[in-house]
Amino acid sequence: MANEVVDQGRRRFLTATTAVVGGVGVVAAVVPFIKSWEPSARAKAAGAPVTQSLKKVEPGQQLIVAWRSLPVFIVNRTPTQLAALPKQDPRLVDPTSTGSSVDQQPKYAQNGTRSIKPEWLVMVGICTHLGCVPDFVGEMKPEPFDPNWQGGYYCPCHHSRYDMAGRVYQGVPAPKNMVIPPYQYLDDSTIQIGVDAQGAA
Amino acid sequence: MIKRYISTIALALGLLLGTSAVMADEGPELPSAATNIRDTASLQRGAHLFFNYCVGCHSLKYERYERIADDLGLTQADVMNNLNFTDAKFGDTVISHMPPDDAQKFFGKAPPDLSLEVSAKGADWVFAYLNSFYLDPKSPIGWNNTILPNAAMPFPLWELQGEQTAVMKVGKPGDDAQIEKLTLSHPGRLTPEQYQQATRDLTNFLEYVSEPAALERRHYGIWVVLFLLAFTFLAYLLKKEYWKDVH
Amino acid sequence: MANVFASIADWVNDRAPNLAPTYRKHMTEYYAPKNFNLWYYFGSLALLVLVNQIVTGIFLTMNYDPSAAGAFDSVQYIMRDVEWGWLIRYMHTTGASLFFVVIYMHMFRGIMYGSYKKPRELVWLLGMLIFLVLMAEAFMGYVLPWGNMSFWGAKVIVSLFGTIPVIGKDLVEWIMGDFLPADATLNRFFALHVIALPLVLLLLVVLHLAALHEVGSNNPDGVDIKHGPKGNRWDATKPADGIPFHPYYTVKDLVGVGLFLAIAAFIIFFQPTLGGWFLEHDNSIAANNLVTPAQIKPVWYFTAFYAIVRMIPSALGTAVWGVLGMFGSIALLFALPWIDVGKVRSIRYRGTGYKVALTLFVLAFLGLVMIGTDYTDVLFPKLFGADIDMTAWDNAFGRLMTLIYFGFFVFLWLYTHLGWEKTKPVPERVTTHD
Repeated sequence: MANEVVDQGRRRFLTATTAVVGGVGVVAAVVPFIKSWEPSARAKAAGAPVTQSLKKVEPGQQLIVAWRSLPVFIVNRTPTQLAALPKQDPRLVDPTSTGSSVDQQPKYAQNGTRSIKPEWLVMVGICTHLGCVPDFVGEMKPEPFDPNWQGGYYCPCHHSRYDMAGRVYQGVPAPKNMVIPPYQYLDDSTIQIGVDAQGAA
Repeated sequence: MIKRYISTIALALGLLLGTSAVMADEGPELPSAATNIRDTASLQRGAHLFFNYCVGCHSLKYERYERIADDLGLTQADVMNNLNFTDAKFGDTVISHMPPDDAQKFFGKAPPDLSLEVSAKGADWVFAYLNSFYLDPKSPIGWNNTILPNAAMPFPLWELQGEQTAVMKVGKPGDDAQIEKLTLSHPGRLTPEQYQQATRDLTNFLEYVSEPAALERRHYGIWVVLFLLAFTFLAYLLKKEYWKDVH
Repeated sequence: MANVFASIADWVNDRAPNLAPTYRKHMTEYYAPKNFNLWYYFGSLALLVLVNQIVTGIFLTMNYDPSAAGAFDSVQYIMRDVEWGWLIRYMHTTGASLFFVVIYMHMFRGIMYGSYKKPRELVWLLGMLIFLVLMAEAFMGYVLPWGNMSFWGAKVIVSLFGTIPVIGKDLVEWIMGDFLPADATLNRFFALHVIALPLVLLLLVVLHLAALHEVGSNNPDGVDIKHGPKGNRWDATKPADGIPFHPYYTVKDLVGVGLFLAIAAFIIFFQPTLGGWFLEHDNSIAANNLVTPAQIKPVWYFTAFYAIVRMIPSALGTAVWGVLGMFGSIALLFALPWIDVGKVRSIRYRGTGYKVALTLFVLAFLGLVMIGTDYTDVLFPKLFGADIDMTAWDNAFGRLMTLIYFGFFVFLWLYTHLGWEKTKPVPERVTTHD
């Protein structure tokens, strides 16, 4: 009847080429669907950086500000509280934040006070154990949970304790120091939480 | 030979005619707004006009300031300093500062949100509307509009266009008064050509706001359609190769 | 690497030995007539569009808010704030309209080539059921954006059921769950549109294909290849004029898919509203129960049937006749296998009367679409002058089209039951033109 010779090579080539080109098309088509899961403009707007003036926060006082639905603690630490910080080192899990807490803060907060300016603590107020919001216990007086309390945070849920730089004490359920968010000073008395000097949050 | 393909030819013709019918104009003849959302300078001018003359009453509740900055090539400072006169944040949507209850009281009807106005009415309609205000002593607010008669809207652009008055048709006594045309009785800061361009820019901006995605979809479209046509050609070669088996 | 696949295949085969034979039965050993033409692309295209609607629909559901208060805003959220949301939405709306283009072409093929005749009546009935469910699905989908046309379209279509005597009023309230289309209506339409009807649709499509494969495909000549000579180059026991569906029709359908996607992409990326035909202007306004759009009309794919409702006047104090007419126009399609009892399947060999009747039927359908979309309001003044009595012209034209539409079925019944048809000799084998 007709030509029985089938050019298998040509068939394989054409099939493979069509499959590859088709495959590229399918992958390209899938991309918008996957990207549609990224935070929408509405989510990004709600999670936008928060600007806060520090003017009204007295020494020893804490202000709580919402950022991305998280409580952010802003504390005006007193000189006494700052002086007590280095003395806590032996009682802490990671005093220099270079061990298990190495990822808990930006580089500029990886220091003894875990902050850009020594007296101002800017910290996400979420316990690193199971996520409760710890109580601010700034006064340096004996407490039932610690007769030698030098000020800091006490979590009511499972009794984890942190010092005035948010560093976690040994022997408590929480494993890491509390998170320091990216932030920057817009001027001497205004901070912006959520974006640091380099840019992205 | 033709007989075999009658149904196919009819199908093709039908689809062609159908498509042209689809694009046919419906409704009264309106002058063409000649908008072009790819003219970024026009969009910027239009945005400027909107935020200076319209946002006092009209919101764009689906459009974010940040989106305007990104799409119109403006910086955050540009937008926040020159367009945003409220305490809205950069990521927020454009909400008019007029409290809706007050608007209801002043005008009898809250000024509508304009995010989708061009989608709903068409660019030509919006353009015609902006050019058709005239002084009407019988209207409670002093203004009327030939495109949307008795809309409770004062004319915010009168400084730019000037004032138009209606020239009535010469009719028989007892006939309803009909407007023949509008004339510029009092010039404004702009010449008629400049005002036309300004309203074109404003309409252009509103067309963009109706569908911001229109700026990018055409760019992707070219590649997608070309890719698919190339794929179809490849598939066709593959089909022809395999169908050599079929006799 | 190939060994891994081979051993997995063996493992599965040991436990589900009928899987591989089932695949072969429906793909590589399903022998379809070799003379399929242009009209035979639309079945696979329908399947493609169904997949598109489901996938894009799922992703729309991720961001859509099915409440009367939030629905309209959520659609704008998808169009503006969700990354690539605009594309997913346009793929869904374009797919919805193209679904009907494809389905009408697919149905027309069935009518033209007599694919509804014995032994394929079941295939046809299942297909008609799919059509009905698809219309319900599309109607409910259109209500979801809760634009002004969504609201008023819902109000008008649901109120058609109110014309049914005795139970009408209660029925309408029962459907809406309220005294007018409201939150309750939107919520239930959402549930039906997203889950219930798609499941029904999928089941019906599977049954439709299964029923088809039981009896085998028809072809443009209407010749039964199973009654012809046996033996082809792939299998000595199979019809001589049959070719394996895979790879021959899979590869051919791939070309159709490519071209169809190119056309769909052109619409999606360049003309997503298609001048107001695929996405209506009035739906850019949020639902408002106090303000009726200037022209309430359904989306183009329903307009022919809607026109029939409008064209049949009220009588004896009820408007139910129009509604009955509309249901009747679809019911008659169900009944085609019993209305048309002609022995010859394909239009190619049928009497001239049939060809004329079918042509008029198509023209009448298009005319009804013109009436339903109010396109006659634009066309007639252009053709016949601006000061004609539009209502009178519309009614005259629309009623004529309605008569021709129903007349097709009446004619066909008489034509084939009373032996008026003079057919041409049907060839023994399929005719191809390569």
